[in-house]
Amino acid sequence: MGKFVVIGERLSATAPSVNKAFTERDPEPILKRAKQQLDAGSTYLDVNIGPAENDGPELMKWAVQLLQSEFDNVPLALDTANKAAIEAGISVYNRSKGKPIVNSADAAGRIDYIDLAAANDAIVIALCNGEGIAANNDERMMYCQTMLERGMELGMEAEDLWFDPLFLVIKGMQDKQMQILEFIKMLSDMELNSTGGLSNNSNGMPKHIRPIMDSAMVAMAMANGLTSAIVNPNDLRLMETIKSCDIIKNNNLYADSYLEI
Amino acid sequence: MPFNGKSGKFNASINTVEIGCGEKAIKIGGENVLPFYTFDAAIENAPKVGVMISDLGLDNEPAGVKAYYEGCTTIAEVAKKAAEMPGADFVCLKLEGADPNGENKSVEECIEAVKAVVDAIDVPLVIAGCKHVEKDNELLNKAAEAAQGKNVLILAAKEENYKGVAAAAGLAYGQKVGAESAVDINLAKQLNVLISKMGVAQNNIVMNVGSAAVGYGFEYVVSTMDRTKAAALGQGDKDVQMPIITPVADDAWNVKEAMASEADMPAWGSQEARGIGMEVSTAASVLASGSNAVILKHPTSVATISKMIKDLM
Repeated sequence: MGKFVVIGERLSATAPSVNKAFTERDPEPILKRAKQQLDAGSTYLDVNIGPAENDGPELMKWAVQLLQSEFDNVPLALDTANKAAIEAGISVYNRSKGKPIVNSADAAGRIDYIDLAAANDAIVIALCNGEGIAANNDERMMYCQTMLERGMELGMEAEDLWFDPLFLVIKGMQDKQMQILEFIKMLSDMELNSTGGLSNNSNGMPKHIRPIMDSAMVAMAMANGLTSAIVNPNDLRLMETIKSCDIIKNNNLYADSYLEI
Repeated sequence: MPFNGKSGKFNASINTVEIGCGEKAIKIGGENVLPFYTFDAAIENAPKVGVMISDLGLDNEPAGVKAYYEGCTTIAEVAKKAAEMPGADFVCLKLEGADPNGENKSVEECIEAVKAVVDAIDVPLVIAGCKHVEKDNELLNKAAEAAQGKNVLILAAKEENYKGVAAAAGLAYGQKVGAESAVDINLAKQLNVLISKMGVAQNNIVMNVGSAAVGYGFEYVVSTMDRTKAAALGQGDKDVQMPIITPVADDAWNVKEAMASEADMPAWGSQEARGIGMEVSTAASVLASGSNAVILKHPTSVATISKMIKDLM
């Protein structure tokens, strides 16, 4: 097995400073956040430009070229509800360090994001969800199968569909947590890749608690076979946990300096 | 359904390291397949064979080695003859006379030998210390300086002295750094990490992951090499993608099969033939496990192993 793939989540238009930088095409704040995430061990960077209804394609092209030229063709996840923007981003994307990731499809209104990924030889994050949150793992698996079949019919490799179980918030859905972990195990048993917005589990918790809860969640999820997550790589405790789990899983050869590599 | 053969080619590859200069410079590593798996992808650089010579001279060598070097009186003459040995790609000068527990030669005296050998040969040179970590720290530092401009490989930086040895060889004098660990895969990686963090480029590092003569805990050697290559190629681990060099002669000629005289062990037959047998079988085994270069001393072993490599490539 390969190492756990960390997708850095900090280039998101939901953060006001990033949104402003995207709007004004100001490279400095974007590059700074990107560098912080890469230095901390992020493999992919998520580029969430928001809905970007007006200038999505131009903005995504600008962001892809900015990041890849500055950081040796860093692989990126292109994250927006504007499909034309994703396609525009891929049109200028350099694949030498990894395929682009389309973020994201689901089994309902956004199922055609799979078509987009297939047409562009990209990876797609496939959220195991229809309309609303899946009631149980049977339903999640049904959505997973629907999307897997669609991707394969369009000529995708199964390994390029990264299934997202949808991490649920503990404060409110505490009783569903083990179900999510069991679903990750089901994906893993099918040798499918998986990812997701892991820190959703600790939403609404005090700031000092979140890294602890996220670290516990990632360790349990990795034990069940999670292969990637969209996280804040500048959460040191979380990254140390991921690196340690990669050692325990024999995804990476141990050396005393493993936390610093 | 037709059978579709799947290539065992990896996406990652072993670093290519060049040793020596000019026409006779050699390259080791570069492959993206398992050892000798040329059916999966071409292996550009065949494994290389080196000839070990010692600053202690030929007195304790087996008859076949003495005979090969007959007429050579100086270390320069021995080195020249070693460089001409059929099948040899490089020479390894071992400064074992420096060992404080042995002859305890001065560093200056050893460096004279280094200079003599550097001037005598145009094939790539590997300089090995006496295995005493403190003495080697000083000795290899000076040896790296003396051989400046020759792109030699210095054996070796160990956990105890890597700072001094790797800084001199890899940073100050532009040589290649050998990183030696004793059959411990985690330490092998750690040492590479530490040396890299000093600023030595990863394609200037060659690993000696340790060895043993066949039959002497050799399965640990094989598993260490296997796992090193699996991590380097299968997991794309940059910290173990250095090529591996294995000094075989030291181990092979120092076990009872090679040392017991025929008088003591008449049933075992010729002592020299046994030594060659140990050297050849150990070398063949480490090459099959992933070594990119071996260091031998007997002309028969060098001829046999170089032919084996040629036939397998």
